[in-house]
Amino acid sequence: MGEAAIEFAGVVKDYGQTRALAGIDLTVERGQIFGFLGPNGAGKTTAIRVLLDLIRPNAGSARVLGMDCHRETIDVRKRVGYLPGDLRMYEGMRGDQFLDFIDAFRPERRDPAYRHSLIERLGLDSAKHIRALSKGNRQKLGFIQALMHRPELLILDEPTSGLDPLVQEEVARILEEVVADGRTVFFSSHVLPEVERLSHSVAIIRAGRIVAVEDVARLKGRSVHVVQVTFAAPPPVGLFALPGVQELHRDGNTVRVQASDSIDAVIKAIARYEIVDLRTEQPNLEDVFLAFYSEHGGGDVESGQEQQHAAS
Amino acid sequence: MPRASVFAKSLRDQRWQVLGFGLALAIMSSTAVFLWPSVRDTLQNFVLPDAVKAFLGTDLSIATPAGYLSARYFGWVDILLIVYAVLQGTGAIAGEESNGTMDLLLAQPIARRAVIVQKTAAAVVGSAAIIAIGWLGFALAIPFIGIEVSLSDAAIASANMLPITLLFFALSLWSGAVAPSRAVAAGMVIGLATAAYFVSTLANGVDSLRNLRYATPFYYYGAGEPLVYGIAWWHVGLLLGIAAMFVVLTVRTFEARDISTGGAADVDVASMLRRIFAGGA
Repeated sequence: MGEAAIEFAGVVKDYGQTRALAGIDLTVERGQIFGFLGPNGAGKTTAIRVLLDLIRPNAGSARVLGMDCHRETIDVRKRVGYLPGDLRMYEGMRGDQFLDFIDAFRPERRDPAYRHSLIERLGLDSAKHIRALSKGNRQKLGFIQALMHRPELLILDEPTSGLDPLVQEEVARILEEVVADGRTVFFSSHVLPEVERLSHSVAIIRAGRIVAVEDVARLKGRSVHVVQVTFAAPPPVGLFALPGVQELHRDGNTVRVQASDSIDAVIKAIARYEIVDLRTEQPNLEDVFLAFYSEHGGGDVESGQEQQHAAS
Repeated sequence: MPRASVFAKSLRDQRWQVLGFGLALAIMSSTAVFLWPSVRDTLQNFVLPDAVKAFLGTDLSIATPAGYLSARYFGWVDILLIVYAVLQGTGAIAGEESNGTMDLLLAQPIARRAVIVQKTAAAVVGSAAIIAIGWLGFALAIPFIGIEVSLSDAAIASANMLPITLLFFALSLWSGAVAPSRAVAAGMVIGLATAAYFVSTLANGVDSLRNLRYATPFYYYGAGEPLVYGIAWWHVGLLLGIAAMFVVLTVRTFEARDISTGGAADVDVASMLRRIFAGGA
């Protein structure tokens, strides 16, 4: 039982001329919430569907819980709960009927009490026909069918889309319980704060490649600070030409800088001048990633920032 | 047997369709029998033009009970059964993919071939139920009417409609596995069925084209001929054999390819051919 929850090894997927996955290597250890972050069209859904043997890679292989995703797919699917990104269910069924239908595939794992508690906690009217459910309620139903058999690995493609904030919080609590139970959650998102809030580790995928895999706590610990300083008079142009410091924006007497290492150099540099206002912003993942892209991706930070906004 | 849940669901999904088609057949069969006494004498003196005979698809005389029921019932309700078969066959794979529900179904621990086998089994039961309900029309009418057709003969001729129905189901199933959408799959089969019907009519009507009829499934079906000659077992075997072949091809194609998530799918002939040959190779 020591195998990783998910292992991608050189997974390539082409759709005609389009390369959706350009050789993905990624290992997700068990017992954590793992965020899979990337802009729309980056290949998140493609990678996830490889895990369930819904699509076959052109090269490479993937393993789930130590089993080959293609050759041992039935055993994989017994132990995995899946919420599709484009969730479609049988419109003519009632919620309960649909859950019964899904439950019937894993009779040994049926747990009516747990299923009922999930329905209660998320506040779903499961007696309604699926066609009568709102987007948010459909998402709840999709979430419940993935969770109710207590899978060892939950694969959730954009799980919180369409859920209101209160339900999102409940979902977060449920996912924490899953992990406390020793199980694993792998979820995709294109929203940074969501990944930051929910996950322990994160992989970033862009244009079919994994560009970073990080521990979220450590990422946040990397002291990236954005400091906005308003001077009494226009400061000299080269003032922030310091190692690890980048000037983001200058507007008259106000300058925004980012210190990707330590804030100390910035404080020392501005101490000789008369300061009208000083603001620092809490480092969030977005800033961390901007710093990351500016270090590894080349190009200036502002364009990186635009890309990041376009992505989210 | 929890693993039969796709079979059970497919049966449940088609229950109203089966009832509707079955009642339509029952109305046709009972009406045909009830009208027999009033048309029997007229038909004795009736010489059908060859073109009309060709359309009926049998050499049986319309003045005999078998020929009459062939023309009034067995010769054309197979079209209704084909409509049912196309609905079920294209719905089974292409329909679930077009709806986007295939992803969640195949995320459950069930093999793709099991999905096909269970849906095929449901279509066999559904077809048989429609045909049986149609036979109830005979059972209702024949005891009251002096027509020289026994209920068991009617049952045999009715059962003889099953192979051609299953052939078109299997063809639709396979089309649904190779076509990019349900609409394209249905178009393929309806086009093929129409062409076969046209060829069949032409071959029956034009002497020089007579041998062409062997190329269409309608010849092997034979409409009301089992009422007179009994079941032509090698015809039944041929139709069921081709049907089975298409089910096998469907399994091979469907197991080899990616699952689509619905949404817009362009008609891409190259990728369709790839799917066809990937399954057939």
